[in-house]
Amino acid sequence: MSVATFVVLFLNGLANGMLLFSIAAGLTLIFGVMGVLNFAHGSLYMLGAYLTYWIVVQGQLNFWVALLVAPLIVALVGGAIEIFCLRRIYGQDVSFQLLLTFAFVLLIEDIVRLLWGSAPLTIPQTQFGGTVQLLGRTYPAYNLLIISIAPIVAIGLWALLKWTRWGKLMRAAAQDRIMAGALGINVPRLFTMVFVLGTWLGGVGGVLAAPLRTISPAMGDNVIIESFIVAVIGGLGNLPGSLIGALIIGQLNSFGISIAQRAQVAFPFILMAIALLFRPQGFFGKVRR
Amino acid sequence: MSNYHYSRRSFIKQLSWSAVGFLTACNLTSTKDSQAVRVGAMYLLTGGFATYGEFARDGINLAKEEINAAGGINKRPVEVIFEHEGEPVQTARRLVLQENVDFLLGIDSSGNAEALVPTIPELKRVLMVTHAASPKVTGHLCNKYVFRCSVNGPQNSTAGAEIAAKEAYKKWTTIGPDYAFGRQSWEFFQKALQERKEGVEFLKKTAFSKLGAQDYNSFITNLQNSGADAIWCSLWGNDLVNFIRQANDLGLFAQFPVYMELGAAMEVLTALGEQMPTGQWVGTRYWWQTPDTQINRSFVEKFRQRYNNYPSYNAQNAYVGLHLLAAAANDAGTTDTEAVIKALEGREYEAPMGKLRLRAQDRQAIVDVTWGKTVASKDYDFRVLEPIEVIKGESVTRPLSLTGCQMA
Repeated sequence: MSVATFVVLFLNGLANGMLLFSIAAGLTLIFGVMGVLNFAHGSLYMLGAYLTYWIVVQGQLNFWVALLVAPLIVALVGGAIEIFCLRRIYGQDVSFQLLLTFAFVLLIEDIVRLLWGSAPLTIPQTQFGGTVQLLGRTYPAYNLLIISIAPIVAIGLWALLKWTRWGKLMRAAAQDRIMAGALGINVPRLFTMVFVLGTWLGGVGGVLAAPLRTISPAMGDNVIIESFIVAVIGGLGNLPGSLIGALIIGQLNSFGISIAQRAQVAFPFILMAIALLFRPQGFFGKVRR
Repeated sequence: MSNYHYSRRSFIKQLSWSAVGFLTACNLTSTKDSQAVRVGAMYLLTGGFATYGEFARDGINLAKEEINAAGGINKRPVEVIFEHEGEPVQTARRLVLQENVDFLLGIDSSGNAEALVPTIPELKRVLMVTHAASPKVTGHLCNKYVFRCSVNGPQNSTAGAEIAAKEAYKKWTTIGPDYAFGRQSWEFFQKALQERKEGVEFLKKTAFSKLGAQDYNSFITNLQNSGADAIWCSLWGNDLVNFIRQANDLGLFAQFPVYMELGAAMEVLTALGEQMPTGQWVGTRYWWQTPDTQINRSFVEKFRQRYNNYPSYNAQNAYVGLHLLAAAANDAGTTDTEAVIKALEGREYEAPMGKLRLRAQDRQAIVDVTWGKTVASKDYDFRVLEPIEVIKGESVTRPLSLTGCQMA
């Protein structure tokens, strides 16, 4: 394998991993704080991509407008889901949450189909500076953009959790929801905020993916599975863990294709199985007491 | 939530809902025309591939109107019941046993077709397959009830090989979906190209991606390192759209000719618009510009008026499927399964895609296959084909002995 090939494969893996992280981060945040496994996360990601199409292609506006507006709309939808539906069943068995979020998978898919049809859509890539020359190869500039945007999201999220009041409240609720409530934290409002933030991240992932991938009602299906794997490997609810997990999956996908093409599809699942068997708290998670 | 009281209000609410349901059900049964010839159409109507099913439904509805306007089947109107083809065996059984359909039509997915075809004899109804391209449908799994009016996988690959044989490329590799279709496509392409050209080499280094994969960057990097002269690509639908866009960014099309077996599908061309590279050979199972016949022109015109869209291959195939059933039943003078089978065997039909013949022995349509080079056009906001090559159906169809079809 030449140096150029190695660099290109590494960058492919990095871009793939970074994109995966911005999606999985929302999933793992919601689980970590609220204990809710949000099946509809992939659908909200898809919604983010469709809104990008709506803004960039149908509205003829700039991609950066989409990056600003589309995740906000997705977050509003997330907020509505939490306030009007999810909030009512926290007291019930976990299976109710799974069923409810699964219902939203079907609902969002059909709403998107009503609004935009089921034919695949694309966003022309001309806006993003096209390609750059890299060690004698053509490489998409947009991949480099993803590689640089996702860490900003990661650092922003980390800073939010570490230093802001809201971040501290979230961490407190994640550790002990009942005690947090007893200390006067408005837990229902906090949960709404977390769900909004988590779905906002899913929306960001959708916007970032939109210029790269075919926009179709099924685009969330694959992503939700990979995001779950990332979340499990990193430890459900563990943000730095899911960053490392996403980067590992990205590189596994990228180099796995070159080294063991037929087995490559199984690698992430094998990693998840190992995690579940030997470190159910995730490779980077702490044991909860 | 507080305790749930069964109030008068909620009682009335439930009562009124059930009344609505009851009335709707009555209404449904009363509109059922007992005189009508009933056709059960099964396609992918939901999920990620629903655009295929929607095109098929459009084609069928157009055919149904034409047939009914021309007097129906043996003076009875045609009625079509659409069902999602998931759980194909149960769905077909229900259509036949509960809905009493006279004919079955459809099937997009090869996997679904392979599951369904062996169970058709017990239902004693004709199944006209209009999309699923697995060679097994009219090969190892063939039976006297199952016909296919569309181009199958081997015919498509062989037509591509016929085009490829005219060029100087010696070393070939492939990228395709990692399931039966992608593997078979590469296998039949190799066989057909070897028969047509000496000294071609097929590389061990190939790329097969998971169906529905999103990221093709590393597959493309591998193709670029393969040392091939040209690439055979059997990706289709959304996967092909994803691949082409990422390959554009990585400069693949500037380095390699990529022969895309299903690159001229309208779903792909409209989704990509100007992002579809020009000067690449692409295949399809029907191209609306060919042949230049009255029948094709009028079909395209009617389809465009009605749906404001160009017909995809799936729309044409489904349209032809219903017309074939109607023509055969009209000739037979009955909808009796055995009589219609007789009328379908060896039947010739002038379809928009050209003259087709249903080979009696394996029930596979033999029809010309269109390939073309992508070109930009001022008149369309998607790529069209120029030049167009039409490959004779006889020359791309395997002789009966190689199909594996043995009719009991």
